[in-house]
Amino acid sequence: MLSNILRGSAMALRTTSMRTALRPSGASPALWSSLRLYSSSLNNDDIRCRVIDVVKAFDKTTASAQINADTHFAKDLGLDSLDTVELLVAIEEEFDVEIPDKVADEIKSVSQAVDYIASNPEAN
Amino acid sequence: MAKRLSGLQRDVLQMYRLCVREAHKKPLASRPNFLRYIRTEFVKYRDIPRKDFSTIEHLLRVGHRRLETFASPEVKDIH
Repeated sequence: MLSNILRGSAMALRTTSMRTALRPSGASPALWSSLRLYSSSLNNDDIRCRVIDVVKAFDKTTASAQINADTHFAKDLGLDSLDTVELLVAIEEEFDVEIPDKVADEIKSVSQAVDYIASNPEAN
Repeated sequence: MAKRLSGLQRDVLQMYRLCVREAHKKPLASRPNFLRYIRTEFVKYRDIPRKDFSTIEHLLRVGHRRLETFASPEVKDIH
């Protein structure tokens, strides 16, 4: 009886320690994400170029507008909120990620999009 | 534009995002048709006052149902 309980708790201990070993996210999310970032091959300049290319390819942008890192979707390109959503989906496609709704609502410029992609370990 | 969006406005944008993502799963040739269709459906109701909650909520429900229909892989093009 007692040994049973002991064995049970030992099992529980082992499984919890295994779980923490498998998912080291709990205590140090910052470390975890920086590790994953390190393993991805994207650098900020690459990301910026690709984002700018997607924006250029987007046919609703005002053709004459110069696009650089500081370009604001609504103010500089004259995009409305629906256009911005379409543009972000195009950027999602380019980097093969899905931007969660909460984050996507906040992205309003090229630099914000670049920052998000740079912080996303799954982007490629 | 700098105004903060209300919850309902964000729901509408989310809905639009779902539709556009779904459109990107369609064949390349018909994708512009889907995007145009989605766009016109949303623009149709652009002038509804933002306080008209019941109408907007109703349209969202209708939209979700229609999205389900069009999301089916048998639907390959739209006019």
